[in-house]
Amino acid sequence: MKFTVPILDVKDLNFEVKGQSILSNISFEIFSSEYIAIIGPNGGGKTTLIRMLLGLDKPTSGEIKIFGKKLEDFKKWYKIGYVPQRASHVDSSFPATVLDIVKMGRTSQRGYLSSFSEEDKQFVQDAMLKMDVLDLSDKMIGTLSGGQRQRVMIARALASKPEILILDEPNTGVDMVSQKRFYALLKQLNRDDGITIVFITHDIGVIADDIARLFTINQKAIICNDPKQTLSCQEMSELYGIDAHSLHVHKHEH
Amino acid sequence: MLEMFSYDFMQRAFVAGIIIAVLASVSGTFVVLRRYSMISETLAHSALVGVAVGLVAGLNPLWMAVVVAILSAWLIEYLRSEFSLYSDAVLAILLSGSLAIAVIIVSLGGAFNNSLFSYLFGSILSVSSEDVITIAAFGTVALGILLIFSKELYFIAYDEEVAKTSGVKVKLLNFLLVSVVAIIIALSIRVVGSLLIGALMVIPTISALQFRVGFLKTVLISLVFALVSVFAGMTLSFYFSLPSGATIVLCVLFIFIVSLIANKR
Ligand SMILES: Nc1ncnc2c1ncn2[C@@H]1O[C@H](COP(=O)(O)OP(=O)(O)O)[C@@H](O)[C@H]1O
Ligand SMILES: [Mg+2]
Repeated sequence: MKFTVPILDVKDLNFEVKGQSILSNISFEIFSSEYIAIIGPNGGGKTTLIRMLLGLDKPTSGEIKIFGKKLEDFKKWYKIGYVPQRASHVDSSFPATVLDIVKMGRTSQRGYLSSFSEEDKQFVQDAMLKMDVLDLSDKMIGTLSGGQRQRVMIARALASKPEILILDEPNTGVDMVSQKRFYALLKQLNRDDGITIVFITHDIGVIADDIARLFTINQKAIICNDPKQTLSCQEMSELYGIDAHSLHVHKHEH
Repeated sequence: MLEMFSYDFMQRAFVAGIIIAVLASVSGTFVVLRRYSMISETLAHSALVGVAVGLVAGLNPLWMAVVVAILSAWLIEYLRSEFSLYSDAVLAILLSGSLAIAVIIVSLGGAFNNSLFSYLFGSILSVSSEDVITIAAFGTVALGILLIFSKELYFIAYDEEVAKTSGVKVKLLNFLLVSVVAIIIALSIRVVGSLLIGALMVIPTISALQFRVGFLKTVLISLVFALVSVFAGMTLSFYFSLPSGATIVLCVLFIFIVSLIANKR
């Protein structure tokens, strides 16, 4: 069964800065083709958690496994597409067309000397088509709207044919219509292409029906496994804030 | 126009100048996009320490400049990656520290003369055939490395962390980039001078960026600007007996101002 081996396996993760705990005792598993939403207050540690999963920050303690491998031994990074929080705030003078940016997604699968192959070009095309930015191909990245940029960033991440897509609040500064379209695209990537999605967002209401599980991160984590209870879970965590963790612990004790 | 090419030293200077224009502008694109501009100034001063050692110890100053600039580049990159020390302050300290050391070495060694001066401001008169060979040899290697890793370096310039998470060997490539930049700067100080090479490396790219075009076009425009500046600068310097480095930099600045005005919006 596909669902038996988690593709992301996090155990007892702790992160401290100068003795102060930022994240404590985070444990969860994420399975192939799941759509996970992560919510939580600003400064709650969502970005930090993601950065640890990607090897950008080192946890103080705990273990992370990706595709069954320890993070330190994991090499196939192209399997993970990452769109960071600040992604759509590109320096507007950066000399890149949309095509230049999406091609970056193929960089690490190319040998150093070789130029992009037909296959690379095909993957780049596919990703652009999927995110509906093909017609923007020759536009400079700095001239795009927030919504267009957002889709370009995802296209770049998709160009490496990832199995997981990790998005850190990519929708800041994007208008409502673009956001709706964006959520529909994410849902499609998850349903049609089976891509696992880990999506940090504030807009939980809109995607409540799309997601499999909801994680609330505020120094600790509570995980709502039942999609039908997603909203009540969210209300719960909003009500209880940090204390919601004790609810989680409580549940375990039974 | 052709008269100046009848002199051997001008032929050498032009060959060296053209190689340097290519190297400085191509590497400059990555340097500027990575916001490393300040590193080129610092390395140019570190290279002077090598020159000083060379002059005093009777070794080839150009070779010594390359060696010391590379070591300095590694030190900077090490401080940056291991201690997250990468403030302008650190670069400024290394910059003035290097200059001070260079001056002390030269004056202790009793070589405080026109030789060091020519490395500060550049001098086309003093480019030897040995220099041209050194510049061509190291320059080919440096350019080769930049071209081989251009995709990766561009990705890192765009977003270092995203590049890292997609499997690009960011740390290694950062070391490689600063090493190559160190080599290029060390080679350039003969012709352009250590006080002025930073300008030749950075300003053509900044000018090219004003045109707001894609990556490849930006590199090409910056290359053309650097070549035109070096060519024009050397020609003017020959006919009006001006110092070569300063004249080249004034040409670069002129192109920058024109680019700025032409692309004003
Ligand atoms: N390397 C670090 N050094 C100092 N503080 C950090 C570091 N990483 C994260 N933090 C702190 O951890 C907290 C969580 O931040 P973050 O993960 O960005 O939260 P979120 O993404 O949920 O808004 C913040 O208070 C932030 O200042
Ligand atoms: Mg965040």
